[in-house]
Amino acid sequence: MEAAIVIRGVSKVFAGRNGLRVAALEQIDLTIGAGEFLCVVGPSGCGKTTLLRILAGLEQQSAGRVEIRSGEPGKPLTSMVFQETSIFPWLTVKDNVAYGLRMRRVPPAVQEPIVEHYLRLTGLDKFRDAYPHQLSGGMKQRVSVARAFANDPSILLLDEPFGSLDEQTRLLMQEELLRIWEAHRKTAVFVTHSIDEAIFLGDRVLVMTARPGRVKAILEVDLPRPRDLVNLRSQPAFLDLSRTIWHYLREEVRAEEHAGRKL
Amino acid sequence: MGKRWREAFAARTVSVLSPALLLAGWELLARAGLVDVRVFSSPSRILGTLIPALLSGELLYHTWVSVCRIVLGFAAGALPGVVLGLSMGLFPFVRAALQPMVAVTFPIPKLAIMPLILLVFGLGETSKVFTIAVGVFYLVLINTMAGVLNIDRIYLDVARSFGASRRDFYLTVALPGALPMIFAGFKLGMGTALLLIVAAELSAARAGVGYWIWRAYDMFDIERMFSALLMMSALGFVFSYALDVLERWVIPWKPPSSSAG
Repeated sequence: MEAAIVIRGVSKVFAGRNGLRVAALEQIDLTIGAGEFLCVVGPSGCGKTTLLRILAGLEQQSAGRVEIRSGEPGKPLTSMVFQETSIFPWLTVKDNVAYGLRMRRVPPAVQEPIVEHYLRLTGLDKFRDAYPHQLSGGMKQRVSVARAFANDPSILLLDEPFGSLDEQTRLLMQEELLRIWEAHRKTAVFVTHSIDEAIFLGDRVLVMTARPGRVKAILEVDLPRPRDLVNLRSQPAFLDLSRTIWHYLREEVRAEEHAGRKL
Repeated sequence: MGKRWREAFAARTVSVLSPALLLAGWELLARAGLVDVRVFSSPSRILGTLIPALLSGELLYHTWVSVCRIVLGFAAGALPGVVLGLSMGLFPFVRAALQPMVAVTFPIPKLAIMPLILLVFGLGETSKVFTIAVGVFYLVLINTMAGVLNIDRIYLDVARSFGASRRDFYLTVALPGALPMIFAGFKLGMGTALLLIVAAELSAARAGVGYWIWRAYDMFDIERMFSALLMMSALGFVFSYALDVLERWVIPWKPPSSSAG
């Protein structure tokens, strides 16, 4: 598989308060293939989000090299779906979805069909003129997902996009995300704290260590697509993988717990 | 439902009755000679002056002169207030450069610099418009900056990650995000403008509601003075209503619950 993202020896140190320096990431080496769906799990505060923000260009790594290979010239490299509600309250659903295209000065006539396509794909077409305050939490994250897809980036970055949703809505959103992703097969990096979610969605699962975040293990998810998320849970392969990931993760979560401190 | 309706009805009745009672009491005390009508007049006397003054167009002319000064001064203060406020909110460097000057000059009462303004701009229209502009400017500037600083960081991240240009930061994040606070600044500024117009028209004015009030004072014509006060009250009401309407039109995304009242 052709590589879409190559990460070599990436570290990130934050200058904290009182001159304390906090290492968030340490010596990350990772290659992500074009069209691959990679899920990242790790204990809270392990630098998962920092890794995504570096890929998104929102943070600069302290050391190491990140190379993102763009598929086509003219396309944006990355688009991010943020963890918290990040759609603009002052824009309608339609204008939120069109935001990336508008920033790239795509002519309105070209924007229109793209935006309509993703509104329909995410079931938002009836709400195109609504403002975010009129939408439920799930609907808001749909807008956020549609906004990232509509921008047509080489790489999609998703930072626990469904973390704040209730269990049922989350399952629905995972199914929808897979459906949209399977229609477009973009390279995706998905950060989550849920082992189930990581296996549901990913081609591979990256397990990170407690802070400073390092690569603990990378596991292949050998489950056929398209996946039926409801039946997946009872398959032996799913259960095995889930157990393995938890085995790796457990020591790290415990280490984080015993460290017993927050930033 | 019946109980709530009755409570609402009672509240509304009280809101109408209490000022009516006050006016009636005032009138009665004036007629009984318990209140000095030379200073406090009485509702009927004031009405007797107000209505002819309105019908002759005299009071409306002076009101119009004041309204023009207020609107011009408001615009001249609010516009740079918004632009500078957005810049100071968005760019720490601009904030660092301008904050000290704002902090030092803001607390100076605007009335205290009126003599200086008169020296610089003379006795004409400019000095009155400028006085109002200065008062409005600070309130709008400070509220706009606070509005931008209060915008959730996430929206700046979103704009950055989607490749927003500097202009896009102003127009798609800072301005809409700060609009509710900008309007709060407008409303405070309007209150200040009404305060300043009266003072500004004290010196070297030939027309205006403020001029009218000071003239009435000179001539000890209490009824004319009260007529102008009623006009000021009406002006304040109209301006704040206009700002409310404008706000609803400019900020359609604001949930209705928070804009009520």
